[in-house]
Amino acid sequence: MSIIAQRYTGSSIKRSEDLRILTGSGHYIDDVRLPGMLHAAFVRSPFAHARISSVEVSAAREVPGVVAVLTGAELEALIVPGPGAAGIFSGGITLPSFSQLATDKVRLVGDPVVLVVAESRYVAEDACELVEVDYEELPSVITEQQALDPDGPPIFEDLGSNVLNRTEIATFGDVEGAFARADRVVSAHLRQHRHQNVPMEGRGIACSYDPESGELTVYSANQGVQTARRLLAQALDVPIEKVRVLSDDIGGSFGLKMGASREEIAVAAAARHVGRPVRWIEDRTENLTASGQAREESFDVEAAVTNEGDILGLRVKMTIDTGAYPGMGGMLPRMVQNMLPGPYRIGALSFESTAIITNKATYVAYRGPWASETWVRERTIDLIAKELGLEPLAVRLRNVVTRGEPPLAMVTGRSLAGVTARESLERVSAMVDFGAFRERQAEARAQGRYLGLGLATYIEAAPGPRQPQGGGIGGPEQIRMRLEDDGTVSVFTAQMPHGQSHQTTFAQVAADEFGVPFEQVRVVVGDSSQVPQGFGTGGSRAAVMAGGASLHGARALKKRVQEVGSHLFEAAVEDMLISDGVLSVQGVPARAMSLAEVAKAAHEPGRLPEDVSGDIEVTTAFDGGEGGWSGGSHAAIVEVDTETGLVRIERYLVAEDCGALINPAIVEGQVRGGVAQGIGAVLLERSAYDPESGQFLASTFMDYLLPTAWEIPRLEIEHLETVPLDADVNFRGVGEGGMIIAPPTLCNAIEDALAPFAARVTEQHLPPNRILELIGAILSDAGEPR
Amino acid sequence: MKPAPFEYRAPESLDEALALVEELGEDARPLAGGQSLIPLLSFRLARPTCLVDLAGVPELQSIRIDDGRLVIGAMVREREAERDAKVEASAPLLACALPLIGHPAIRSRGTIGGSLAHSDPAAELPAAAVALEAELIARSRTRGERTIPAADFFTGFLSTALEPDELLTEIRIMRQSPGTGCAFEEVARRHGDFAMVGAAAMVRVEDDRITEARLVLTGVSDVPVRALDAEATLTAAPFTDEVLAEAAEQTAGSLSPASDIHGSSAYRRHVAGVLVRRAVRAATQRAGVAA
Amino acid sequence: MSMLEVALTVNGEARSGAVEPRKILADFIREDLGLTGTHLGCEQGVCGACTVLVNGQPARACLMLAVQARGAEVVTIEGLAEGGELNSLQRAMWESHGFQCGFCTPGFLMQITALLADNPQPSEPEIRAALSGNLCRCTGYESIVNGVLAAAGHPVPSAHEPQTQEPERSSVA
Repeated sequence: MSIIAQRYTGSSIKRSEDLRILTGSGHYIDDVRLPGMLHAAFVRSPFAHARISSVEVSAAREVPGVVAVLTGAELEALIVPGPGAAGIFSGGITLPSFSQLATDKVRLVGDPVVLVVAESRYVAEDACELVEVDYEELPSVITEQQALDPDGPPIFEDLGSNVLNRTEIATFGDVEGAFARADRVVSAHLRQHRHQNVPMEGRGIACSYDPESGELTVYSANQGVQTARRLLAQALDVPIEKVRVLSDDIGGSFGLKMGASREEIAVAAAARHVGRPVRWIEDRTENLTASGQAREESFDVEAAVTNEGDILGLRVKMTIDTGAYPGMGGMLPRMVQNMLPGPYRIGALSFESTAIITNKATYVAYRGPWASETWVRERTIDLIAKELGLEPLAVRLRNVVTRGEPPLAMVTGRSLAGVTARESLERVSAMVDFGAFRERQAEARAQGRYLGLGLATYIEAAPGPRQPQGGGIGGPEQIRMRLEDDGTVSVFTAQMPHGQSHQTTFAQVAADEFGVPFEQVRVVVGDSSQVPQGFGTGGSRAAVMAGGASLHGARALKKRVQEVGSHLFEAAVEDMLISDGVLSVQGVPARAMSLAEVAKAAHEPGRLPEDVSGDIEVTTAFDGGEGGWSGGSHAAIVEVDTETGLVRIERYLVAEDCGALINPAIVEGQVRGGVAQGIGAVLLERSAYDPESGQFLASTFMDYLLPTAWEIPRLEIEHLETVPLDADVNFRGVGEGGMIIAPPTLCNAIEDALAPFAARVTEQHLPPNRILELIGAILSDAGEPR
Repeated sequence: MKPAPFEYRAPESLDEALALVEELGEDARPLAGGQSLIPLLSFRLARPTCLVDLAGVPELQSIRIDDGRLVIGAMVREREAERDAKVEASAPLLACALPLIGHPAIRSRGTIGGSLAHSDPAAELPAAAVALEAELIARSRTRGERTIPAADFFTGFLSTALEPDELLTEIRIMRQSPGTGCAFEEVARRHGDFAMVGAAAMVRVEDDRITEARLVLTGVSDVPVRALDAEATLTAAPFTDEVLAEAAEQTAGSLSPASDIHGSSAYRRHVAGVLVRRAVRAATQRAGVAA
Repeated sequence: MSMLEVALTVNGEARSGAVEPRKILADFIREDLGLTGTHLGCEQGVCGACTVLVNGQPARACLMLAVQARGAEVVTIEGLAEGGELNSLQRAMWESHGFQCGFCTPGFLMQITALLADNPQPSEPEIRAALSGNLCRCTGYESIVNGVLAAAGHPVPSAHEPQTQEPERSSVA
């Protein structure tokens, strides 16, 4: 009988990141200090839409301590003109032409116009106040109606209108037949409001350029150093081998800090221009106003249903507000379209979309960017249940797929292999005790208290079943591993953690597979000169793609060590054992070497045959293997105070499936964090603009309201048993799910609570004001900012 | 988000402080706890030439009972007042209001006088001062001391009856008499936020009847609003649910609050009525009467 | 621009520097004293990331000028560990997986230190109320609250058991 080695994978071991984080010795972008470093600040537009008639910077240049003041036109001369980096997220949709700093026009409140570089941020801001920009105000385009008005002022003249892209109707299955067979058609206009990432740390970058070597060194809070490197090299026309991008600790991102933003390109160019390091730290006002916003989408939905609750088909028209300076907004509708059927037997779908441009912040990726597919579907299912007088749970159970039974794929194409939506729905309804709740709800209503229960179900391709191109978003994941001379196993990954604890989880996987103590694995991130090529962190890909790559990389590295060992010990490769950091010969325990000894011996002349390298290093790639879906069902019980419109969350329950857990505490942290953002979206957070002036109304933390410890409840979490699809890697991504599913869960619960008022929830944002409007306690004031 | 330049003075006596504010004039600003002023400086919305830091002025630091009144120095920190037994015993309404101000880290720096002189219509202390019919003591170097009733002190959004050469030195509050109950009810978007609407209530009850009522609302105008009609309604007849509902309706009907992204005018009006009911009911119960 | 001398005690050490009157305390701690463990998350006095202890009381270092801290005793996150070892709060947070990205961490740890000094056995509602002025975007707060409960010697509820929220912990006060 062999002794079973300790497994790190599957256990909630303490994070290696915490030793620095808990002692204040983390190293964030605002902690970067470079010799002679200068500080940047931007002059930003006070108007939503205006023509720039003149920019006067001479007074600003005179301020003692100011080193450079760059106008938009001056910056354009220092870089490769054009939208540049925005293009990588556009999904092939033609973008209008624009500059990094505004030159001809400003297109949102907070649009950067002039860059000031000075000895301190204080002085830079002093100088910003002395820049005089003359604006000729133009009518702003804020609402969907304004953007679709053919007579409206085009925000980008070369586009000729404010429509970025329109897709033709895409049809899947027999849509006509489904609507012909239907007993009823349930229709709704559903709106998802603009809200945003709001990491606790804003964006930031510090750059230095060495004119002699031509090398550009960039410190950037960024989800992917290789992507940032490529984009900055392009924008500055520097050979890519001369650019090095470094990222250290990052104070959250949730999709925001990807690629190279307009401000970041401007700062890099300024550093090269002045010949001294320049750092820019985005402040909170800039972050809320101009870093990017997300989620503003609306949907016309028609559902063909039978009286028994079968959902035969959907017709959906989507409009997405991509803001000004569009990036990824135009390509998003296709992702929404493909995921809309979710884990349900919805046999037909027609889908069309319009992407508009407005005088608001750029639409950016935010934790599950395509999440509106879940919001729209799960809200529609509850509306169907209402219309038919059925329990929403019953409608879900009637339509949700059963594992192993047809249909085996969504009508839009992707396989549903291994989906456990039915199991998670059954589990969460058992956890909540559905029947008992309905009784309690009735008693409470008799006393004038309004309780509600909401459910929702989702799946996420993290990475999803194997596809011809492999790997889900971003393609296969490379990993480089080496055995260092001190016996450490180094794991070099293009993933760039910003809270997800990769340095712990990848080490757990690699340590188990390789056979070393967890502490002997070092996960190296955030240096483009060391980590392999790769898109970076996003799309919930880290656990499966890089976790899987860690496993396969460790396996390959182990093979190399065994090969080297077989030469060192003159024994068969098959007899080389690695356990607890020691290499030994099977059956001969006395013949053993520590990994440090192996690494050293491998470099000693004459120890290895000439054709065997002493460098113990491998680079492998993982394509996601057989893949699999993440998913789950959530339930919320809420109480609505119908006098004040305040919502209290009494219970929040989660039955989730992210496959095999690498570190349960980390998984649960991701679930809770995502759910908290979803709760925030529904009850508190809105990136509000004045529809008349285009002024941004949520530029402070007194206006953009993040939830606090008081508003977010404890979560009850159960993990479903893993359905293994792959021989080795059955971890699945878990970063985005909570944020995808919490909004419909909560909206469904609130509508259920308000059932006695016959309220219909068709929007995702339900602040107290809106709740009182929905129940008719107050009239909505159309003239007020929405 | 960094402040524009300014000078800084730290007087060590009240006389020195008064001489400084007189000399520096309107462009200078007194600095109390800084919890409202410093963000305004960082946003560059306030542009004083000089700050006069009152933290080292000994005359402004004490809480005492004087001639039947509770007297609180302007520079007493909110957290200190919150923990002071004299405050709780003499002015329970103030004791209700203090924990509602922001968060512990705000109250440990923020001062009683600073909050009053800032005159934010959403803040708790101005409303409490009006409900308590407190006296605010202002002093200038040349004219000496004057007493400003709280009702006259708050003249508009972030503006008060203080002259540029005056400092608010203390607040005096009549000690609450037996048979009085009070409550401070708020509706905020989040715990610790400035409330969208708040209601401070003090009632004196004799034989199941409200004999005296003071009712003040926050967040519904540019100053704290005293609901005099509702007070009259509450004291005109024996206390019943109907009387309370009428007082609440009267209050809501008399208001025309502004809208903002957190709540429409209609919402604030509605909630003002709800909070009047909740606050008066709670105050009445604390005074020993169940409606 | 006049420069003023600021002398104070930080984490038990006498420190000093010359600053413009407008210099914010957080910038002074981070830039002049090199203690970058204190983070600026909003500079608007809302997020609490910059919370430090000033004379034993929690204070937001973005809402104080450096000159206001003259003569004060300031404690920052760097002052928590004892002789190079994590203190009991830090250990409890490590065990409970309290934080993720770590940016809000300094403010939470200092606010919790102040809370436990004041009230060594806080209930969960007391903890949540006391921490409601500190924003975290990553965790949903439960792991942080668990860390405080553990540091206070209370049992920590399991994520796998029913958790009806106590009625007094209403969604919004």
